[in-house]
Amino acid sequence: MREPERDVREREREAGRGAGRDGRGPGRDGRGARRVAGWLADAALVGYFVFALFPIAWMLVLSLKPADQLFSTYFSFTPTLGSYRTVLGGGEGIPFLRFFVNSLVVSVGAVALSLLVGLPAAYASARWRFKGSENLMFTLLSFRFAPELTVIIPLFVLYQRLGLFDTYVGMIWVLQLVTLPLVVWIMRSYFADLTPELEQAALLDGYSRTQAFFRVALPLVKPGVAAVSLLAFIFAWNNFVFPLILTSNEAQTVTVGALSFLGGDRPKYNLTAAAALVSVVPPLLLALTIQRYLVRGLSFGAVKS
Amino acid sequence: MIRLRGITKAYGRTTALDGLELDVEDGEFFCLLGPSGAGKTTTLKTVAGLELPDAGTVELDGRDLAGVEPYDRGVAMCFESYALYPHRSVHDNLASPLRSPRHRLPAAEARARIMETAALLGIEALLDRPVGQLSNGQRQRVALGRVLVRPARAFLLDEPLSHLDAKLRQQMRAELKAIGAVRRTTTLYVTHDSVEALALGDRIGVIRDGRIVQTGTREEIWYRPHDTEVARAFGRPRINLLPGTLTENGAFRSAGGGIELPVRAEAPPGTEVLAGIRPRDLSLTAPGHELTGTVYVTEVLGRSVEVTVRLGGGAGPGARPPGGGAGPETGAGPETGAPRVSLVAPRADTRGLGPDDPVRLTLRPENLLLFEADRPRRPGRRIGTR
Repeated sequence: MREPERDVREREREAGRGAGRDGRGPGRDGRGARRVAGWLADAALVGYFVFALFPIAWMLVLSLKPADQLFSTYFSFTPTLGSYRTVLGGGEGIPFLRFFVNSLVVSVGAVALSLLVGLPAAYASARWRFKGSENLMFTLLSFRFAPELTVIIPLFVLYQRLGLFDTYVGMIWVLQLVTLPLVVWIMRSYFADLTPELEQAALLDGYSRTQAFFRVALPLVKPGVAAVSLLAFIFAWNNFVFPLILTSNEAQTVTVGALSFLGGDRPKYNLTAAAALVSVVPPLLLALTIQRYLVRGLSFGAVKS
Repeated sequence: MIRLRGITKAYGRTTALDGLELDVEDGEFFCLLGPSGAGKTTTLKTVAGLELPDAGTVELDGRDLAGVEPYDRGVAMCFESYALYPHRSVHDNLASPLRSPRHRLPAAEARARIMETAALLGIEALLDRPVGQLSNGQRQRVALGRVLVRPARAFLLDEPLSHLDAKLRQQMRAELKAIGAVRRTTTLYVTHDSVEALALGDRIGVIRDGRIVQTGTREEIWYRPHDTEVARAFGRPRINLLPGTLTENGAFRSAGGGIELPVRAEAPPGTEVLAGIRPRDLSLTAPGHELTGTVYVTEVLGRSVEVTVRLGGGAGPGARPPGGGAGPETGAGPETGAPRVSLVAPRADTRGLGPDDPVRLTLRPENLLLFEADRPRRPGRRIGTR
């Protein structure tokens, strides 16, 4: 993609050099203008960089402030890691580490279950049109239309009755509303992009349909699985409303847990900030780990000849 | 032996196969020839069990295949898109059938077969390469290799040579039938290239709009084409189709009245007909029935020259032939409407011949074919010969 651009630039440089050699160059002026444009672009990017990272920097500053300097509006304070120590050490009577583990269990569980159910569903819906298949797919997607708040009260009642309230199973189950449609819809388009002839070839090679799925179709959509897993994980991890209403202590997650520090007689913004920053770490690590799959995943269509 | 009876298949409102009947004998190399969209691939996939017909039966070696899954049919197919597994090496692509539960071979035997097949197709050096690094020609050979690597009841080959460059295609065409496995195995070969069909097919089936129009040996197809479209499909330059009518005494009279040839036809006098004359039955020198015209264009083909002649008594450009009635199939020029014919002549005969020069043609009537005049969407059927 960058090749032609580089070519042009090189050719222009060459032309500029030629002009420079005879001493008077319209090429020289052009080069200057380009340099100014480059600086402007850099400045704009730096501006955006500051804009984008400012909230995070603010949180970082907040998390490093001692409690008594929290509300000072000038930037002089004695930095301390005390907030992190308190948060991770289960201070203030809030078992933040447990919330953290809960979040991991619940998010990983939700993604795993979604993949287990969603991959075959996506494959089937991409390959076979059966009666009502489109309606089924639409229904699945429609879970994402309604705000979670509209269903949360009935869910709360159901969960209380079924004994799912404040359990891992309950959380993993309810997070399917978030992750499953994502997995099915994204993976469906990946499977649809694969020519069915690959699996047909496998059938004629003597493999069953299941084997054709596992040996041919699934390996070819791996980049898609990586991409959708990350997305689903982030959505599950960031979900707030479900754990807020459907958990109390045992299965509570970091999103709700981080806010516990705001309760009590005085809101402890420094602890909330520290908790929030700690809870950013897993999605960030995951994104960095599977980054190379992500890039391939997004350009997958180009692989076919 | 493959037997298709009354196969009908529709995709939504489009009919792909319309009561298709086909018999391929044991060990026969059968070429299915037709334009794109005629239903060739659908026919193959129906035999393979990848498409289920709406009606009709598929039999393989006398066994009805209804309800038999593709992996239990024991046929091997080469897809036009190659359908190679892009995440595997060439070796693993070839090994795929030999590792499957139904065709599994002991590792040593499998290795021997893979090497043998790779050698046969000249792809030994590529075995460790991922398929993605291969050229189209190499991919096509790997796809063919995946078919040949294991014994099968039937080979189904979907345009396996179409993406090769001209030289390689010619070479593979010559080699394909010499391959032992191909010689022994019933093969249904799909192509849109009539040269390929003539060169390879023990028998040829011409398919059009989801039906078999004609099956026969290459001689039968060549000398007794079912209709003008079959006649046009074989031979380059194409067969010349001269418009004319049947006379009272059972002869063909060309539209301009230039020639009259005795024919045997099953049609009443006065019927509008087309006389089919292969370019090689026209000559600039040999004795025979004479036609006159002017040279339209000449094209040197090497040792011989293709001459296209605008018929009509030495009429210059712009003149309309008396009687008119030129069918579109003669390649009548839009500027004149005069029927044109092509012939291939030795270079010596065409020395000094240029556009608009008057020429005399002679016609050898031995292989003359007589067709009904074409109608829209319905090519004229053959109704007679000399």
